[in-house]
Amino acid sequence: MKASPFLLEIAGISKAFPGVLALDNVSLNVRAGTVHALMGENGAGKSTLMKCLFGIYSPDSGEIRMNGEKLQLSNSRSALLSGISMIHQELYPVPFRSVMENLWLGRFPLRGFWPLRFVNDKKMYEDTMRLFEELGMDIQPEMITGRMSVSKIQSLEIAKAVSYNAKVIVMDEPTSSLTANEVEHLFHIIDSLKQRGVAIIYISHKMEEILRISDEVTIMRDGKMIGTWEANSLTTGRIINLMVGRDLTSRYPERHNIPGDVLLQVEQFTSSLPKSFKNVSFELRQGEILGIGGLVGAQRTELVEALFGIRSLSSGRIRINGKLIRIRRPIEAIRYKMALLTEERRVTGIFPVLSVLENTVVANQKSYQKLYGLLDERSRITDTERSIQRLSVKTPSPKTQIRYLSGGNQQKVLMARWLLTNPDILLLDEPTRGIDVGAKFEIYSIIAELAEQGKSIIMISSEMPELLGMSDRIMVMCEGRLTGILDGRKATEEEIMNLAAQYSVRTGGSA
Amino acid sequence: MKKKVVPLLVATVLLATVAAGCGKNNDNTGGSGGDSNIGVAIYKFDDTFMTGVRNAIKDAATGKATVDIVDSQNSQPTQNDKVDLFISKKYDAIAINPVDRTAAGVIIDKAKKAKIPVVFFNREPLAEDMEKWDKVYYVGAKAEESGTMEGQLLVDYWKAHPEMDKNKDGVLQYIMLKGEPGHQDAELRTQYSVKAIEDAGIKVEKLAEDTAMWDRVKAQDKMATFLSAHGDKIEAVIANNDDMALGAIEALKAAGYFKDNKFLPVVGVDATAPALQALTDGTLLGTVLNDAKNQGAATLNLAAALAKGNTPNKGNSGYDITDGKFVWVPYKKITKDNMNDAK
Amino acid sequence: MNTSLKRVSEFLTNYAIYVVLVVLIIGISVSAPSFLSLSTLTNILHQNATKAIIALGAAFVLITGGVDLSAGRVVGLSAVISASMVQVSDYPRKFFPDLDQLPVVVPVLLAVFAGILVGLINGLIISKLHVPPFITTLGTMVIVLGVNSLYFDMPPNSSQPIGGLRNDFTKWGSGTIDIGPFSLPYLVIIAIIVAVICWVIFNKTRLGKNMYAIGGNVQAAHVSGINVGRNLLWIYSIAGALYGLAGVLEAAKSGGASTGYGNMYELDAIAACVVGGVSTTGGIGTVPGIMAGVMIFGIINYGLTFIGVGPYFQLIIKGAIIVVAVAFDIRKYLAKK
Repeated sequence: MKASPFLLEIAGISKAFPGVLALDNVSLNVRAGTVHALMGENGAGKSTLMKCLFGIYSPDSGEIRMNGEKLQLSNSRSALLSGISMIHQELYPVPFRSVMENLWLGRFPLRGFWPLRFVNDKKMYEDTMRLFEELGMDIQPEMITGRMSVSKIQSLEIAKAVSYNAKVIVMDEPTSSLTANEVEHLFHIIDSLKQRGVAIIYISHKMEEILRISDEVTIMRDGKMIGTWEANSLTTGRIINLMVGRDLTSRYPERHNIPGDVLLQVEQFTSSLPKSFKNVSFELRQGEILGIGGLVGAQRTELVEALFGIRSLSSGRIRINGKLIRIRRPIEAIRYKMALLTEERRVTGIFPVLSVLENTVVANQKSYQKLYGLLDERSRITDTERSIQRLSVKTPSPKTQIRYLSGGNQQKVLMARWLLTNPDILLLDEPTRGIDVGAKFEIYSIIAELAEQGKSIIMISSEMPELLGMSDRIMVMCEGRLTGILDGRKATEEEIMNLAAQYSVRTGGSA
Repeated sequence: MKKKVVPLLVATVLLATVAAGCGKNNDNTGGSGGDSNIGVAIYKFDDTFMTGVRNAIKDAATGKATVDIVDSQNSQPTQNDKVDLFISKKYDAIAINPVDRTAAGVIIDKAKKAKIPVVFFNREPLAEDMEKWDKVYYVGAKAEESGTMEGQLLVDYWKAHPEMDKNKDGVLQYIMLKGEPGHQDAELRTQYSVKAIEDAGIKVEKLAEDTAMWDRVKAQDKMATFLSAHGDKIEAVIANNDDMALGAIEALKAAGYFKDNKFLPVVGVDATAPALQALTDGTLLGTVLNDAKNQGAATLNLAAALAKGNTPNKGNSGYDITDGKFVWVPYKKITKDNMNDAK
Repeated sequence: MNTSLKRVSEFLTNYAIYVVLVVLIIGISVSAPSFLSLSTLTNILHQNATKAIIALGAAFVLITGGVDLSAGRVVGLSAVISASMVQVSDYPRKFFPDLDQLPVVVPVLLAVFAGILVGLINGLIISKLHVPPFITTLGTMVIVLGVNSLYFDMPPNSSQPIGGLRNDFTKWGSGTIDIGPFSLPYLVIIAIIVAVICWVIFNKTRLGKNMYAIGGNVQAAHVSGINVGRNLLWIYSIAGALYGLAGVLEAAKSGGASTGYGNMYELDAIAACVVGGVSTTGGIGTVPGIMAGVMIFGIINYGLTFIGVGPYFQLIIKGAIIVVAVAFDIRKYLAKK
C-alpha cells in the first residue's frame, strides 16, 4: 500500500509534430490542495502539455495518472469527466447566449423522457445561483455572456471548472485581462479551491503573481522539463535565468533618448460615449516615451484609438507642432505620421495566412506603386529583408506565413510594418502582452532605440514594472479620467496604484 | 486506419455510380443496324419536350443508323466540346439542338472543315449562319405558331360561347402567365397569342401579366393573387406552357371554379400528360402540341440521308423541304375532341 | 428634443424592416384598396406556408454557422417521390402503372425520409470528412437533382410532369377549415405546428441550445464536451426532414410535381432567415424572427403582383430589401464606437 503523494502525475510524455519535438519526456507531479505554477517562454511546450492533459492532443508516449490510476483521455469530455478542467486564456464563451447556458453547456439538466426531453431551465437557474453564491460571484444567470466584462467572463469560466467537481484546474494566464481588484478576488477563489483539495496548475508570465500564490514551480524550456522547485526557494531573477537558459542582466534596456520640444498636444478629449474617457489633456514631446497606466476599464485603449481616428469624440482638440488639426479616421492619422499597434494582435494586427513579406509592407503599399499601378516587387522584398534584419525577426524566410511565427516575432513584424511608413508618433497598446521574456527585451530595445532617433511614443501597459522601466513620464487613468502624470524615473508602483484606483477606492466598488 | 475508411467508401460509391451511369448512357445509343453513325447533341436532357424529341430520334433510327445522343447540360461550351468529340470520332452526320442559337455559326464552321453535314433542330440558327454552307439543315417549328394557335383556341371558344364575355363589353379581359423573361418562346408566345385574338377582330384588355418562370407552383401563387385583385373581371388565362396553365387551374379550383358551371378558359402549350388529363377533366380549355415525334423523325431522316451522301428530299426524308434547307413541323391545336393525337 | 429625435432614429434602426413593410402595405393599399381583405390574408398565408417550413429548416443550419444549398433540390426530390405514388388509378400515364392505392401516409413518409437521408449525408460529409457546409451542400444539391432526374426519367414516365394526384393527398395542400368568413388552409395549420415544434427545439431542448453554442463558438462547444459532429448530424437531418415535408406539401398544393420544383428555394429561404434576423455567421436567430422574414417576402411578393408591378422591378425591390434589411440588422450588433 504505497499511495502516491501526488494527485496528478504526468509521466514521461513525448509528443512530436512534423519537424518538431514539442514535448520531450516531460513529467509533472501535482499535489492536491496546492498551486503548481508552470513556467516557460512561449514555445517551451506548456500549451502542448496542457492540451495533452485536456485530451485535445494524444501524446506519442507516456501516461497520465490521477490518484495512481491511469487515465484514458481521448477528448475534452473525457478529461472533464476525469476531473480535469481548464480555463483557457483566449477562449471566449458563446457570446450570444446566457451565462447559465454557457455554464452548463454540454450537460444541461433535463426533464421528461425521450423524445420529450427538455432542458430544465428552472433547475439550471437554481444550480447557477447556488454555484455563484458559493463562490461569492455576483453575476446574473440570465445575462447575455457577450455583454459582460472580461473579468466576469473569466469568473464564469472558473465557476464552470468548479461545477465539474474538478480535482485539477488548469488556469492559463488567468489574470491577463483583470484589474487589480479582480486579481485579488481570483486569488481569494484560488485559496478556497485549495481548501477543498483542488490542485491548480497555474500558467502565467507574471513573476510577481507566481511567487505570491504558488507552492511549487515547474519550469520548461524547448519542450523539455528543466525542473521543479519550491516556490519560496526561487526569485524573479532565478526564474528568468532558468526559463531563458542564460543570464539576463536587466529586464529593461538602457535608454539614451532625450525628450525635446512638444510635438503633440491633446486638449479636453471627451468621448461621444457616456462611460468612456472625459476631459483628458496631455502633451507628448519629441523623442519621449509616455507610458499610460491604469486598470482594465480605465478607457486607455479607447483614448488612444480616438486619437487615431477609430473612435468618435464629442469634444476635444489635437495640435501637432502647435497647429490645430482634425483626425476623423485612421487614414488621416496616418497622414499626420501616426502609427497604432493594436492590443489584440491576432484580431486586428496580423493577417495570419499571409507571408511575413505581405504583413510587413501592407501599410506602405502606396510607395511601391509604379506606373500603371503595378507594385515594385524588388523594393518590397528589400524593405522586408531590411526590416527583418533591423528588428531581428526570427523567421525561416520572408515568404513564411506569419501565423507560424512566435508572438514576439509577430509583434516585431507589426512594428516593422509601421516603421516603414516612417511615423513620428507611435501608439503602442500593450506591446508585450503574451510575449515571452526574451522577446520582450528585444521589443523594449527597439522602443528605446526609436525614441533615441527622435520618435515620440505612447505606450499603454498594464504591467507596472514595464511602465516604470520604460517610460519617461507615466500618465495614469481611472475610469476614463486622467488622475495624474508621474515622472517615470522617480515613480513607484504604489503611486501608480493609488492614482489608478482613485475613483474605485473612493466609491468603494470595482469597475 | 479507421480514418481512411470513409474516403475509400466515398470513392467506391462514386465509382459504382459512374459505372451505373455508363451503363445507362448506352440507352441513348439506339437504332443499331444502320451502317452510318450520327451524333446528336440535345441542349438539356431534363427538358420535358426535348425528352420527347430524343425518344423520337431513337425510335426513328432503328434500321437506318446508329445514333449517339449526348447532353449539353444547357451550356454552349459543353456542346461545342461534344461536337469536337463527334468530329474526332468521324461520324457521318451530326444533329444539333443548340443551347444558344447564335452559337450555331461556330459549329457550322467546325463541321464544314471536317466535311460532316449538320442538321439543327428545335432552335433555329441565324439566317446568315444557315447560308454559310450548303450541307446545313434545320428542322423545327415556327415558335410564333404556338402562340398564334393558343390565341386561336380562345377565339374559337369566344365565338362559340358568347357568355365568355362576362361583362358584355365586347372586350376580352385576360391574364398572361409568362415563362422566363427574355426566353424566346416566352416572348413570342406572349406576343402572338394576343395578336391572334386581335387579328380575329376581338378587342383585348390585359388585366395582368407576370412571369411564373414556367413553374406550376409559382403560377398557382400568381394566379391566386390575380384572382383576389381582379376577381370576376378575368375572362381568360393565357399561359406560356401547360405547367403554368395547370398551376393557374389549381388556384381557380381553390376559388370555386370548375364546379357548379363556373368556368374560365385557360390555355397552355406543350400537351403534357397532366395537361391532357386536365382536358379530360374539362378544366383546361386547350393546349398546343409541339410535335416531338415528327421533329425527331424529320431530324433523324435528314441526318441519315446526309450521312449516306444523299441530298435530302421529300422522297428520302418523308418531309417537305422548304428553301432547300428547312423542314417546318407544324404545331397542333389540342382540345378534348382531338386529344388522342397527342398521346 | 434631442433625445426624442435619437429615440426615433433608434426605433427606425431597430425596426427598419417593419417600417418598410408598413410603408409598403400602405402604399399598396392606397393604389388598390381591395388589397386590405380577408382573402389577401388567406392567400398570403397559404402561399408562404411551405416557404416557412423550408426557411425553418434552413435556419437550423444557418444558426450552426453553416449553410444548406441542397434545400431547394430536396424539395423537388420529395415532391416527385410523393407525387409519383399518389396518382389516381385511372390516370392514363401513371408513374407506377401497377401500383395499388397506397395509404397517403406511406408516400409522405418515404418522401420525408428521402429528405432526412440527404440531410444525414450532408451531416456525415461535414462532420466526418470536414468538408465545409457550403461545398458539401453544393455537391449534394447537384447530386440530388441528378438522382431526381434519373427517377423522373424512368419509363413509362420519361420526364413527363406528374399529374392526376389523388384528392385525399391534394386536400392537404388545398383544403381549409372554415371559421365563419375566414377559411384557414390546412397548409397554414401544418406550418404553425412545425413552427411551434421548432420553437420548442430551439429553446427547450439540448439539441437547440447546442445548435446555438456551435454557431456562436464552435471551439467553446468542443471543449465543453459537446459532440459537435453528432449534433450536426441531427441538425442537417432535421433540416432535410423539413425540406422533405415542404416538398410533399408543394406537390399536394399544386396537384403535380416535376424535377424543377423547389429550384432556388434555398436562396429564398436564406433571404427570409437573414431578413428575419438570423446571422449568417451563426449563433443568432429566433423562430418568430424567421416567420417575420418569410411574411415580409410573402407580403411583398403578393402585394407587388397584386398592384401589377412588373417582374423586373419586383426582382430589384426584393434584392434591395435583402441588403437593406441586413445592413440595418447588423447595425444592431455592431459595437457602437
